[in-house]
Amino acid sequence: MVIEVKNITKNFGGISALKDVSFSINKGEIFGLIGPNGAGKTTMFNMITNIYEPTSGEIIFQGENITGIKPYKITEKGICRTYQNIRLFSQMSTLHNVMVGGHSQSHSGVFSSVFRTKAQRKEEQLLIERSEELLELVGLLEHKDTIAENLAYGQQRRLEIARALASNPSLLLLDEPAAGMNEKETDSLYDLIKTVQSRGITVLIIEHDMPLVMKLCDRITVLNFGEKLAEGTPEEIQNNEAVIEAYLGKEEDEVDA
Amino acid sequence: MLLEQIINGITLGSIYAIIALGFTLVFGVLGIINMAHGEIFMVGAFVGVTATGILGWPLWLAFIAAIVVTSILGYLLERFTLRPLRGKKGVSHLAPLISTIGVSILLENLSHHIFGAGNKPFNTSFSQISITIGSITIYLVQIVIFIISILLMIGLTIWLSKTKAGKALRATADNLETASILGVDTKKIIILTVVVASAIGGIAGILVGMAFNSVSPQMGLSMGLKGLAIIILGGMGNVKGAMVGGLILGLSETMLVAYGDSGYRDAIAFIMIIVILLLRPQGIFGSKVSQERR
Amino acid sequence: MLGEILNTYYLQIGSFILINIMLAISVYVPLSSGQLSLGSAGFMGVGAYTSALLTIHFDLPIVIGIIAGALAASALGVIVGIPSLRLSGVYLAIATLGLGEVIRVIFVNWDSLTRGSVGLTGIPQLGREILEFARGVGFEPAMIGIKNNQFVFLSIFLVLLVLVIVILWFVVRQQNSRVGRALSSINLDEKAAESMGINITYYKVISFTQGAFFAGLAGALFAHVIGYISPADFSYHRAVEVLIFTVFGGSEVIIGSVFGAFFLTLMPEVLRFVSEFRYIIYGILLVVLMAVRPQGILDANLLKKIKFKRSKGGIR
Repeated sequence: MVIEVKNITKNFGGISALKDVSFSINKGEIFGLIGPNGAGKTTMFNMITNIYEPTSGEIIFQGENITGIKPYKITEKGICRTYQNIRLFSQMSTLHNVMVGGHSQSHSGVFSSVFRTKAQRKEEQLLIERSEELLELVGLLEHKDTIAENLAYGQQRRLEIARALASNPSLLLLDEPAAGMNEKETDSLYDLIKTVQSRGITVLIIEHDMPLVMKLCDRITVLNFGEKLAEGTPEEIQNNEAVIEAYLGKEEDEVDA
Repeated sequence: MLLEQIINGITLGSIYAIIALGFTLVFGVLGIINMAHGEIFMVGAFVGVTATGILGWPLWLAFIAAIVVTSILGYLLERFTLRPLRGKKGVSHLAPLISTIGVSILLENLSHHIFGAGNKPFNTSFSQISITIGSITIYLVQIVIFIISILLMIGLTIWLSKTKAGKALRATADNLETASILGVDTKKIIILTVVVASAIGGIAGILVGMAFNSVSPQMGLSMGLKGLAIIILGGMGNVKGAMVGGLILGLSETMLVAYGDSGYRDAIAFIMIIVILLLRPQGIFGSKVSQERR
Repeated sequence: MLGEILNTYYLQIGSFILINIMLAISVYVPLSSGQLSLGSAGFMGVGAYTSALLTIHFDLPIVIGIIAGALAASALGVIVGIPSLRLSGVYLAIATLGLGEVIRVIFVNWDSLTRGSVGLTGIPQLGREILEFARGVGFEPAMIGIKNNQFVFLSIFLVLLVLVIVILWFVVRQQNSRVGRALSSINLDEKAAESMGINITYYKVISFTQGAFFAGLAGALFAHVIGYISPADFSYHRAVEVLIFTVFGGSEVIIGSVFGAFFLTLMPEVLRFVSEFRYIIYGILLVVLMAVRPQGILDANLLKKIKFKRSKGGIR
């Protein structure tokens, strides 16, 4: 088991965004987190990366309780994320974005940077090589010197994934990676996530594109109004009465229409 | 003696509170710290001196003149330094701060050139009227200042909570985008906010001129910094906090001058800024939520 | 021959430009991680007074005084920085502004030590000390055909020039490294930077403290170049002036600080009438810049264009 989310509750003011939600993800799985808007999916990501601290409950990552530790330390421990509304370092080049992602994988400080010690130069070289390799993986190597904000939308989404991968995570959190993508882009995103999985990285994905989710995920948890509604394989979820009622039925109607 | 000091402290505190109100209004609605507010206040004071001293106008006319001039300044400030930055892509949140610093040194040095560097006396027969009860002397000006600050405070609170414009203003303060979707003319509201805040600054200017009997181009800076200290103490964007913060600062300064080392009087505000920021960054009355909004 | 070329007045302006470049960099470095410090004048004052007092009262060599001054300023930077950095940029700006004023008020009021608003005089002068040292090793200015006071001004200028070059080298190298990338990612998106594994508090304190160090260094040098200091030298206006160097020249590229300090220090010297209206011009400049070109005169795009044109010209 890579991560165990235990009885997480989060209250904002008087409103609870998450109520007693638990699930656990096995190593190497692609795990889907779905539910209508406002179901608390992104809040769950913010709990796991500790952008907000949960009101109660705990999160166990690789056997260690990581509830309440600083976000940057969580990244160091091997969890990295992307954002629903892309948050790249917009004025930096594509390559530099990925290199920032590799921050936790390198160690040079002020002294070694200013004096360009041998170790620092070697580390920098290695970081560039690794970053370029990741850019190749997401198909952006030819744009490595482009300023991030000048990339096309789909490219920015892929760059965010590359940046997250640069931190060498065991668990990758993807927040609606297919949002705003056309069919062709979504297909190549599918391939990319499968490749990520084949590298032994566990993936937790929030996504509204149901065909993609059903094709991609090994298991799925459905949230509704902050509560866990169901959990299971894509087939089980598709046949779950409560889920169809609350969410899928509506969604499929919309898709049909 | 002590009672007299307390009265002096309350007078001073009321003035500080009025200045802080101007900061708080603009911050509450726009999320911007208007570094030029102190200088607008100073201009208000100079308008008062010019009107009563040089032109020989009656005091009430001087008040109106100060309000008119500072309102216009407020409009110009919004039009030329704040509006161009709003909604522009890639503008740092520090830009309005820097831009209003520009206005502040511009105004300070303009009045330096026009009026000279020294202190100008603010003599009105009104400021000489005093009441003596036993050993205590209270100037009428002090009472007027206190009453005006209370009236401003109450008026502002009612205006914000009861009137349509006030409600629109609060909606804008909550969320600019939502407010404009709901049909609030945010542009007008923002202009209104800055103009009202500036006019309040102008009123404070005249009051200070009368209370201290002197006006100088540098007074904007020191008063402005004190206003900042108060909104940090009372919580950013908090009307009640501005009043209480002002009184605390006014009283502690007066007490220090009376019983301690007057040289460090101006340091209190800044030490207060630093200590509050360290211990309770949201201010005494600020809530955690407003802190997260930043 | 050298004696005829060397104009002490020009050398002195050159020295002021170099000190101002250091100050501009002291604002630039924290700003590169998104922190606006309005305390540069305060840090400068701490550096100046520390060094001046140590050299006057304990007869310490100037070098030791200057280093102590810069370190005292950076220690203060750490003490104020760590708690303030939890807060957003606007709060930090006000906290540093408050700090600067507290420092100035202390200089004015601690009469027994600082001699109040009159200030300190008789601070050992850098140029004279260098001259004495040179004579000590058997060198006379006359040997290269210059007068003693020419040598004094020249040596100050050269020392400052070397220091500025070292600082620039330091900042540029740091910028093009893991540390620099971390700083600029914090500037661009603090939350995203933190979720990339960057300890933002640590890096903010580093850049803030470096800023305090450079300001303290510049202040200490200023004291030993001029020979007298008073609290008025380290007022809020000085802080704003330094901010304008950086913001005007270009706050996104290091060369912007150099250009801003150079241009705005030279301008009032060349155009006398400008001197009188200096602050009025500064004020208008800030307003117009923020509205029209918030990144300042020089930015990465403009530099690229200049380079491109030059290389094209070279080919022809």
